[in-house]
Amino acid sequence: MEILVYAVMLFVLFNVIMGIASINTWVERKGSALIQDRIGANRAGRYLDSDLLVLKPVLPVIRFLGILGVINTLLCDAVKALFKEDFVPQGVSKFLHALGPFMAVFPVFLAFAIIPLAPEFVLFGEVIRPQLAPLNAGVLFFLAMGSMAVYGVAIAGWAGNNKYSLLGGLRAAAQMISYELAMGLAFVAVIVCYGTLDLYEMVNRQEGVWGVVYQPITFIILFIVGMAETKRGPFDLPEAESELTAGYFTEYSGMKFLLFWLGEFAEIGLFSFLLVLLFFGGWHLPFVDLPEHAWWAALIGHAILMGKVLFFCVLQIVLRWTLPRFRFDQLMKLGWKYLLPLSMINLLVYGALKAGGWLTV
Amino acid sequence: MIPVSFYLTLAALMFTIGVCGVAIRRNVIVVFMCIELMLNAVNLSMVAFSRTVGNLDGQIGVFFVMVVAAAEAAIGLGIIIALFRSTRSLESSEASELRR
Amino acid sequence: MMILFALLGALVIASAIGVVALRHPIHSALCLVLNLVGVAALYAMLDAHFLSAVQIIVYAGAIMVLVLFVIMLLNIKVEQPHRRGIILTLLATLAGVCFLGILAPLFYRGLRGFTDHSSKIEGTVEAFGELLFTRYLFPFEAASVLIMVAIVGAVMIGKRHQQGGSK
Repeated sequence: MEILVYAVMLFVLFNVIMGIASINTWVERKGSALIQDRIGANRAGRYLDSDLLVLKPVLPVIRFLGILGVINTLLCDAVKALFKEDFVPQGVSKFLHALGPFMAVFPVFLAFAIIPLAPEFVLFGEVIRPQLAPLNAGVLFFLAMGSMAVYGVAIAGWAGNNKYSLLGGLRAAAQMISYELAMGLAFVAVIVCYGTLDLYEMVNRQEGVWGVVYQPITFIILFIVGMAETKRGPFDLPEAESELTAGYFTEYSGMKFLLFWLGEFAEIGLFSFLLVLLFFGGWHLPFVDLPEHAWWAALIGHAILMGKVLFFCVLQIVLRWTLPRFRFDQLMKLGWKYLLPLSMINLLVYGALKAGGWLTV
Repeated sequence: MIPVSFYLTLAALMFTIGVCGVAIRRNVIVVFMCIELMLNAVNLSMVAFSRTVGNLDGQIGVFFVMVVAAAEAAIGLGIIIALFRSTRSLESSEASELRR
Repeated sequence: MMILFALLGALVIASAIGVVALRHPIHSALCLVLNLVGVAALYAMLDAHFLSAVQIIVYAGAIMVLVLFVIMLLNIKVEQPHRRGIILTLLATLAGVCFLGILAPLFYRGLRGFTDHSSKIEGTVEAFGELLFTRYLFPFEAASVLIMVAIVGAVMIGKRHQQGGSK
């Protein structure tokens, strides 16, 4: 029974990850077109015609999806990548070349294991908590996986056997290490605030007031750091196309390239999940009281959570296409001279508040 | 439950491999990594002892070893970069300025 | 449980040998990362949850990334085999085996008089933190000073000397 529950949870979690990644892909393609005053993908599937009886009733739907560009971005691109030549440059270790994209995706997917997807509910007389791994280390596990993600880009940069790749890999490693410090300290402030490491417990503490109300600075730090860790937005120096062609994935094609893409979009989803769970009440909405332990309440809670997560995903993508890129010294200055001291002071303030007993969550 | 001697044997093997590495390799960075290997072997044995004795003191010791290892990495890699700048190589036998 | 331990042990030993035996520093470093992750899993098997997380964050996530960074930055090539390489290697391996020979009986004899409690002691974050901020407060503070000194030292060593400036 327990194994079955875990299997179902794993299946649902995997679908959530892939769903968020594909929605992000579509929003990125079509949204960037909107922001840049282009039309964007709108051809594939648009003029589909078929005499098959099975297809007849869904034809308008497919055509509509085609106009929206969904078929182009999700179906055609994936199929195209599958059939592309898998190019490996000369003089590199084939194993390392394949290990790079794998290591870029694997930690991100593992980190999803601690994310609770909905409130607890009772099914067949058993209380089920939809969280794959309720670990004692909790948020620390997320930090551990975040630090493992550096290896993907570093190895990929090395395995390209190419100056641009190497520079991109080095930049990515330096950037991620620098911002990890501020991220760790911001997380400690959150842990001090809630007094627990478990994400599920943290969400439960926000039933009345959302966390962002009394820890706005922590939220801002984590939001900026999250965008830097995904290597996007104004922080996309490791893959700056005007300087490094494509940075650490210059020498990748086909499915391996798509894996980097997937890891990036899954990571956007991961950080959105964290922000929502830590600061925006997870499945809680103000003035909405869901009954405890009902399966339909869990479904509604899940929908609320996913809505908030999608909002933050879209926000990150819009910011990415709005803001210009940093210079590398500006990036380092922001990380070391502003964010790190700010998160230290932030931690001190919350420590003092907690010790003085003024902060009761 | 796995007996503690298994963990200790594993730790001893790891430590021995680390010692061999320090003796065999001449690349300073690899020697550095072999030292980390030895530290890890000791850490593993301390955690195993901690469970056997029944208190957390051994694990606290491991925590401090990790702190020292982090400090060591910061200084050690700084020295390695300085060495590379002055001798253009990382052979440990090349760093013999003081002997002349 | 036993199977898991055997697998992890094999992984840890194989990757440790890889660190020593592989010629390219990058491969050595990646083997060491594998080794560290394996040891972290062993910590988790020993109920040291906090240490297992810290092992991955600090060792695999920070220290080894720095090492990898330095290797990539200096663009180190494959180590050339030395003239006396084979003899030296054999001698060193022999010394290592002798060392293990000394170590093993000590462990064996020492452990016979040892009562194995194997109690359910769990290295949870709460228990760990409480001990660290009460009985081990002074070493903890001393360690933070040590880290501070190390940072300053690393900055001083790493600083590029200006031409004509004080050396």
